[in-house]
Amino acid sequence: MDKMLKLDRARSDLMRSVARGSLVAITSAGVTLSSIAPALAQDNSIEFWTQSYGDALQWNATIRDLAAEFEAETGISVQHETINWSVAFDTWLTVSRGGAAPDCADMYWLHSFSAIGGDQYGPMPINEYRDQWENLDENFFEGSLQDVTWQGDFYGIPWRGDIRSFIYRTDAFAEAGIEGPPETWDEIVDIATELTERDENGNVTRWGYAYGTATNSVSWLLPYYWQAGGDFMTEDGRTATIDNEAMRTALTFMRDLMWEHEVVDPDSMEANYDPQPGFLAGDIAMINSAEQSWGVELDRDYPQLEGQWAMSLTPEGPENRDSFSGGGYLGVLRGTDKVEQCVEWMEFLSQEDNMATLSRVSGNVSTRRDVMDSEFWNDRPWKVVVGEALEYARTSQHPAPAWSAIAAPEPGAVLYDMMYDAVVRQQDLDEVISRAQERMQAELDRSNVQ
Amino acid sequence: MERDKLIFCYVMVAPALILTVGLGIYPMLASMVMSFQLYDLLQINAVGTPFVGFENYIAVFQDPRFVQTIVNTVLFTIIAVVVSIAMGLFLSQVINANFKGRAVLRTLVFVPWFVPPVVASAIWMWLLQTERSPINHALQSMGLIDTDIRFLTDPSTFGPFSIPMMAVAAVRVWNGLPVIIIFLLAGLQSIPKGLYEAAEIDGASIMQKFWFVTLPMLRPVMSVLLALLVMNGLGQFEINYIMTRGGPQNLTNIMAVYSYQQAFMFFRFDYAAAASGVILLMTSVVCIFYVRAQSKDTLR
Amino acid sequence: MTRALENGAIADPARAKTGFRNNDPITRFVVVLVMGLMLVYILLPVFWMIKSSFQTSLEVQAIPPIWLPETWSLDAYFDAGLLIPLWRYMFNSIVVSVVSAVITTAIAATGAYVLARYRFPGAMLILGMILATQLIPAITRVFPVYFLVQDLQLLNTYAGLILAYVGFSLPFAILLLRGYFQTSSPPELEEAAMIDGCTHFGAFWRVILPISLPGLAAVTIFSFLNSWNDFLWASLLLSSGAMKTVQVGIGDFASEGGGVQYINAFMAACVIATIPALILFFFVQRWLVSGLTAGAVKG
Repeated sequence: MDKMLKLDRARSDLMRSVARGSLVAITSAGVTLSSIAPALAQDNSIEFWTQSYGDALQWNATIRDLAAEFEAETGISVQHETINWSVAFDTWLTVSRGGAAPDCADMYWLHSFSAIGGDQYGPMPINEYRDQWENLDENFFEGSLQDVTWQGDFYGIPWRGDIRSFIYRTDAFAEAGIEGPPETWDEIVDIATELTERDENGNVTRWGYAYGTATNSVSWLLPYYWQAGGDFMTEDGRTATIDNEAMRTALTFMRDLMWEHEVVDPDSMEANYDPQPGFLAGDIAMINSAEQSWGVELDRDYPQLEGQWAMSLTPEGPENRDSFSGGGYLGVLRGTDKVEQCVEWMEFLSQEDNMATLSRVSGNVSTRRDVMDSEFWNDRPWKVVVGEALEYARTSQHPAPAWSAIAAPEPGAVLYDMMYDAVVRQQDLDEVISRAQERMQAELDRSNVQ
Repeated sequence: MERDKLIFCYVMVAPALILTVGLGIYPMLASMVMSFQLYDLLQINAVGTPFVGFENYIAVFQDPRFVQTIVNTVLFTIIAVVVSIAMGLFLSQVINANFKGRAVLRTLVFVPWFVPPVVASAIWMWLLQTERSPINHALQSMGLIDTDIRFLTDPSTFGPFSIPMMAVAAVRVWNGLPVIIIFLLAGLQSIPKGLYEAAEIDGASIMQKFWFVTLPMLRPVMSVLLALLVMNGLGQFEINYIMTRGGPQNLTNIMAVYSYQQAFMFFRFDYAAAASGVILLMTSVVCIFYVRAQSKDTLR
Repeated sequence: MTRALENGAIADPARAKTGFRNNDPITRFVVVLVMGLMLVYILLPVFWMIKSSFQTSLEVQAIPPIWLPETWSLDAYFDAGLLIPLWRYMFNSIVVSVVSAVITTAIAATGAYVLARYRFPGAMLILGMILATQLIPAITRVFPVYFLVQDLQLLNTYAGLILAYVGFSLPFAILLLRGYFQTSSPPELEEAAMIDGCTHFGAFWRVILPISLPGLAAVTIFSFLNSWNDFLWASLLLSSGAMKTVQVGIGDFASEGGGVQYINAFMAACVIATIPALILFFFVQRWLVSGLTAGAVKG
């Protein structure tokens, strides 16, 4: 009797689970069908490319999740593709010359690529959709919006900022009994001299200072020059303005750090220089112009260094405290017939919580004010510093198509050669700078031919 | 019958011809045409691509960096070719000899072939980075040096040579060695044993055998190898670009890197094409010498 | 290096007799020493790659360097598989490299055969063009080839990349095989075959190919390695997600942020990426040398 009952129950359990299973199967088939059906009727998928940020795995998963949510909401499916940073520039160059392009993408260097693409290829202005973003000017930082405007046209939504502040080893500072981070150029020299250490053979075991973190060495020059009161070009982007006292001040400062005070690695400007391992090992005491993504990375990958490093504002120069900021934006590519869908996707991504997600995962500061006010960007001391640094951030993108060539961190480029000749080779400053001024003007003229 | 033969010939050679023209000749011609045009991506939408004669060539030759780059390219090629052939001759002799463990040694010697240039450059960069270089640490702990060698960054020069040039050349040799060894090995095995036996009967020393038997018999392989190595060497790009970008102070810059930078960094496809044109000119000279040497050989 | 060679291989002419075996102890010692130094040079990077793949990334970055892993760990290998779809990329690489190597060999063999054996109008011109393609650096071709592949609608397909690889490996393969056909098989063979009623193609297919296997094997492995080791073209022509080759996938590590937090996984991926080529080499090395012995050597 008992036995029968058990068997019976088992059977009915079985039946129920079979029923449930087939129900799931049917519904899911229905869902799949219903999502395929409109896709067949009208191709409703867009191709979206991004560079890779932060932890590659996490980045891809994040975009996938956002795309799934977006598809559930709108029925538009997003095909995401990651571009390797090492070929990103070549890829966008090819795209701007008519190569295979996505519908929309995460891009940078708008001025160059839109000039190269002309009316046919490359970034596409979307002026008529600008109004779809409510309170654009209030919600986003002003500087970031400058980066998506070129010759009066609106090209997309800025989504990431790359803010540089100052990073230093608190353990080295404490050991030497130094109170806080340097606040001025002079203090940089004093502290760096104190913290530089050499062994009995003269090998440096700890460098007191490094110009900056990114492998882009030209990006180090920008803030020093600004802080000395200089501008690279006139507002219309047609005239180069680098032959002046400010440039002499900036380059002298950099050169003296390397050769007179001997606190900077003379190999800093070579292609294979990377200050990160040195900083992690405590062999570099402080670095100016440190990307905020270092904070995220150090938190995530080097918890054992907790308490041994801190960030602070870039020390003040003779004139001001301007610091470097780069950025990237979401934009539409010419040649797509899905502008509406792209704009919808971009709108979705630029909502507050999604922008917060992108910012958190990529480690880049957000271009939205509310995201920067959120808890995530205030729960660690270094994040508070980054938030403050935003006040001093100045865009590194100049309104001239030739700027990316002028500022390329590559031997042969105008600013790199100038820095190299003045700082590393210690050539005559006046000659170096006037040569650079002439070359830079020629580059600007190149892109202004009518 | 004659017609059949012709049809057969053309059908057989057609696929090769089509691919050679499409992926070899056409890009080459396109690049040569470009070297006589104004082809600046930043101006192209405004002014198009008018012909400008030799202006691009004049422009690159007026760039002192380019002139130094030509010298570097030639030096790099000579160093890499001489050192790798010398090493190749030694290594191929050794692994051609009969001894225990030859198969293992042979495989070990060929391992660099399977490490792609991109990966090889990355690992070598790690090994040659001044502070973390295990080579520096090993040398220091053996007491051979006091201060770290700045393999890739020391700008002091000895005539046209420098430490970074040697370091990058060493990586290029490393990367190219297996192919050279395999060619030389093939060459060695094609030498009839009788020749050595005859030489031995005449009382030849090992030196004399190398000089009077091995080297002359290797002549045909060596000429093919030389031509190949010189032509590839003049157009080499990857290793120099990844490891140094041509620095420090342009000491390791070579023509293909210069050309790449002009096109992909500065948008000057015309200058890039002119630089390639100069490379083409140099490789053509080598090629002509090679073909003439070959035809002399055949006549003999 | 040249001096080392003289010292090593050929020193002491008076006493040396045949091969290294019968040399006196001093010569042997010098040869072994030079050989040892060269092996250090050849194997140091390989050793560094392998040992780093078994360390934690902090240990890899340590200054002074740590030569042997303190604890041997396989974590990096699992991480590598998690960070990029390594096995899928390996599959892509194998497909692209094998197919392009086979096609290259087939096309090169037919072309090289008639260029070696027949006189027909245009033969010298074709040979000249093949030689000429070797004269310009690969980067010069980037844009024209990219747009050619795009016009054929082959971007982001295996076919597009295979086409490019076949095109690039072909000239060298033809020159090599032409030399091989000229020297390794006497023309009398085909003449006999054709008297027996074979067509031109029949003679090639049934008589010449079977005895040319070593040469074909040599060409195949050369083309395979050309494709397997390439980064530039793969990153331009086959950049789409799941289709990437393993070299491009490895590149994704290096370009990531600072690039050092996964240095051990990067090394592990490199180790894995070298293995298929190594295995292939192991099996064909016998033919490789004999194929070249008859071929390029006299080309």
